[in-house]
Amino acid sequence: MNKEELEQINSYLTFKLGEEEFAAHVSRVLSIMEMVKITKVPKSPDYMQGVINLRGQVLPVVDTRIKFGMTPTEFTANTCIVVMEVNVNGEEVQVGTLVDSVQEVLEITEDQIQPPPSIGSKYKSEFISGMAKVEEKFIMILDMDKVFSAEEMMNVQASTEQGRQQGVEQTNGGSRENSQQEDEQQAAQTSASENAQ
Amino acid sequence: MDNFKQKFQEEATENLAELEEALLKLEQSPQDSDLIERVFRYMHSLKGGGAMFGFNQLSEFTHHLENVYDQVREGNMQVNQGLLDLTLDAVDHLKVLLHQGDEMSDETQTRHKNLDIQIRKYLQEKQQEPETPQNSNQRQDKTKTFYIYFEPEERLFDNGTNPLFLMDELANLGQAYVMPCLDRIPRLDQLDPQKCYTHWEVVLVTDETEDAIHDVFIFVEDQARIDIHRLSQGNLLENSVFAQFLEQNYRKDQLIGLDAIKYVAQHQESVQPEAHTSQSRDASSGKSGNQGTGGQQNQGKDTGNQKPASPKANGGGKKEDAISSIRVESEKIDHMMNLVSELVTTQARLSLHADQSEDNELEAIAENVQKLTRQLRDNAFDIALVPVETMITRFNRLVRDLSNSLGKKVRLKTEGTETELDKNIIETLTDPLLHILRNCIDHGIETPEERRRAGKPEEGTIMLKAYYSGASVHIQVHDDGKGLDAEKIKQKAVKQKLISPEASLSQKELFDLIFTPGFSTSTNVTDVSGRGVGMDVVKRNLAEIRGEVEIDSEPGTGTTLTVKLPLTLSIIDGLLVQISDNKYVIPLSAVHKIYAANHSDVVDKFNNLIVLDGERIPFFYLRKEFDMPEAESQTEEIVVVQYEGNRIGLVVDTVIGEYQAVLKSLGKMYKYQDMISGATILGDGTVALVMDTNKMIDRFTSDYQQQINVES
Repeated sequence: MNKEELEQINSYLTFKLGEEEFAAHVSRVLSIMEMVKITKVPKSPDYMQGVINLRGQVLPVVDTRIKFGMTPTEFTANTCIVVMEVNVNGEEVQVGTLVDSVQEVLEITEDQIQPPPSIGSKYKSEFISGMAKVEEKFIMILDMDKVFSAEEMMNVQASTEQGRQQGVEQTNGGSRENSQQEDEQQAAQTSASENAQ
Repeated sequence: MDNFKQKFQEEATENLAELEEALLKLEQSPQDSDLIERVFRYMHSLKGGGAMFGFNQLSEFTHHLENVYDQVREGNMQVNQGLLDLTLDAVDHLKVLLHQGDEMSDETQTRHKNLDIQIRKYLQEKQQEPETPQNSNQRQDKTKTFYIYFEPEERLFDNGTNPLFLMDELANLGQAYVMPCLDRIPRLDQLDPQKCYTHWEVVLVTDETEDAIHDVFIFVEDQARIDIHRLSQGNLLENSVFAQFLEQNYRKDQLIGLDAIKYVAQHQESVQPEAHTSQSRDASSGKSGNQGTGGQQNQGKDTGNQKPASPKANGGGKKEDAISSIRVESEKIDHMMNLVSELVTTQARLSLHADQSEDNELEAIAENVQKLTRQLRDNAFDIALVPVETMITRFNRLVRDLSNSLGKKVRLKTEGTETELDKNIIETLTDPLLHILRNCIDHGIETPEERRRAGKPEEGTIMLKAYYSGASVHIQVHDDGKGLDAEKIKQKAVKQKLISPEASLSQKELFDLIFTPGFSTSTNVTDVSGRGVGMDVVKRNLAEIRGEVEIDSEPGTGTTLTVKLPLTLSIIDGLLVQISDNKYVIPLSAVHKIYAANHSDVVDKFNNLIVLDGERIPFFYLRKEFDMPEAESQTEEIVVVQYEGNRIGLVVDTVIGEYQAVLKSLGKMYKYQDMISGATILGDGTVALVMDTNKMIDRFTSDYQQQINVES
């Protein structure tokens, strides 16, 4: 099946981060791996967990929980790396995402998907493209491209560049800003799920 | 067909590059007849190929150019500056045409017309000059009648040639009276439909030259007998007696024959016909004929990878080149390099496994494989190397055009251009170097008057020197211009708020400022440089290929830029070290010495200095720098690396050993992580990070600097 065909179908891979269930379209998912040793890259943002060897290629791994403003992933037997292909600034990039557990592949039709909740534009979570209600559960459908969008990359760039050029004080300031941002995102997450319930 | 078209485009691109090079050389020695021959030949190949593959505009355009150089070759015209300027412009235009094909954009079309007119003007001007009367006569009254006998071999159909198309093409040249002769067609039961039994007689009236007729048969020349005879000047087919003669005497099973036709023709024409054959022409045109066909044959046959080598003018030396080297698609080389990289990784695994096993034989085999892999690796890299020479034509062209337009006299000298670099590096390197040269000419070299006043020769010199230095290649660009003005740089930097007015910087640090984004010293913006994008882009582009750039300048005597490049991009020799539970590779080129140290010597030291071999050496405890917990062991190892002429210690847990690292990029997600230049996959499948020690130490020192500033 080629990519266009893949994008036509309504299958989603669902996985859990904490208690929340998320879904990503299967056209984005390349493979699911068991946890392997992750090599941490020094002086990189917290959510960049490190790199692993994926069949001879170096694959960056993102701690999705930190990225979404949750506590860092705790490794259990269920922790998996979902290898996804995302579009960052028009370029296809492969990235591993840490998830607490992989659930299933679900068929979710268009009419099951509701627009993402927005409680005032400020708290709108830009990573969520919609909410689906499947068997009394609410699943948040992720827009993987946006998770790794240009703006996000810019933040990374800004914080590392600041760190390099303006030193410790600025970096601290930067990360404070970041954590503030993450707080906001977390707020968005929780309020989103509250709203859903 | 598209495939062929692409092949042609590739080949033509190369042809154009060589043409350009030849033209630039011709500028130096305008009398060199070999060069003129070469120029002519490249044009001829372009014309032939272009017409063949549907680049009609390109072909036609080249045709006029070729005519001009034909005149030059014949000695009727001299090579001069104006002509070279025009030709170089035309070459640029040809590049566009090659790219766009026959569908030209409006802009191109205007340019096309302009250039075409200019070239034609050139031809006309020259033709008005006194030539041999016969020559000018020929040109003014161009209509001629030819007799053509075409007798293909029976196997003509094998390569897909349709002789009827050839006849059509002949008819396109003018008015053709085609008389096929069918006498050799056997009886139906003996007839092999895959063979060609027919031969043709054609009487052709055309304005074109004999060469043009030859061009029609360009691809079948070696498969057919082709006789072309000029019957007379003017249009014989309009002569009723002659036309009637053909009509009455044409029988399907018998040739009329040249003699009979010639006889009739001669008696119809009052003008004495010049019936010389292509085989027995006079000396000068005979030469051109041979050249022409030589080139054409080449074009026709050159469907393989062999570099086109024209038989005559290239002489012995070049011929050897053609045999001793082949042209390979760069994609294939990339693929091979990938495979070699994989092999190196796998070999590392094998060695690891062999070391752990007790099997002596396996160890011996693994060792052998390691040796062979290393040789294969070096060999494969060697294949992907391209000499710096390949960039020089572009540089020459830039220097020439730019110095002309700025009214400066500049000469580009080169040295060590045989120095080789990975082709990927060369590709990325060209633009930064062009920019550096642009800067040299625009900012560095003064105008001739200024130079005279300063007691320098009017002509400025830019020296481009390439040489090996250890595991890297240095490319040095030196100009003998006015040099950098440190004071001016400082003022500018203060104005741009890049530094504070109080900052005291060394001269070198001031020079380095020109690599800062947003810095441009030229007060008035020209179209050449000073667009805000400048040396910082150069630096960034070079950093992509792990290159570094240094600048040095002496006021009044010139500026030297040195670009340091790694020999290859994909594999480095490194030192494998362990820090905590991660492994790192330190490039061996940076490593100076390794020492053992006590744990207590390197932690909680106030000034991070340690005495090694009686020398005080600053060090970084990498566990601390990488935010890892302190080691529990009592001994540490210190890898001393070179850093901008100083020695710096890097404290690691243990040094494991030497390791060939196949460099893999960390990818876009780690784009802004510059302390780590990449990663490599170890024998056991885990990932080790490759350090860029220079950038890492840069980062550590600036972090410390900031810390001190904050504290004070």
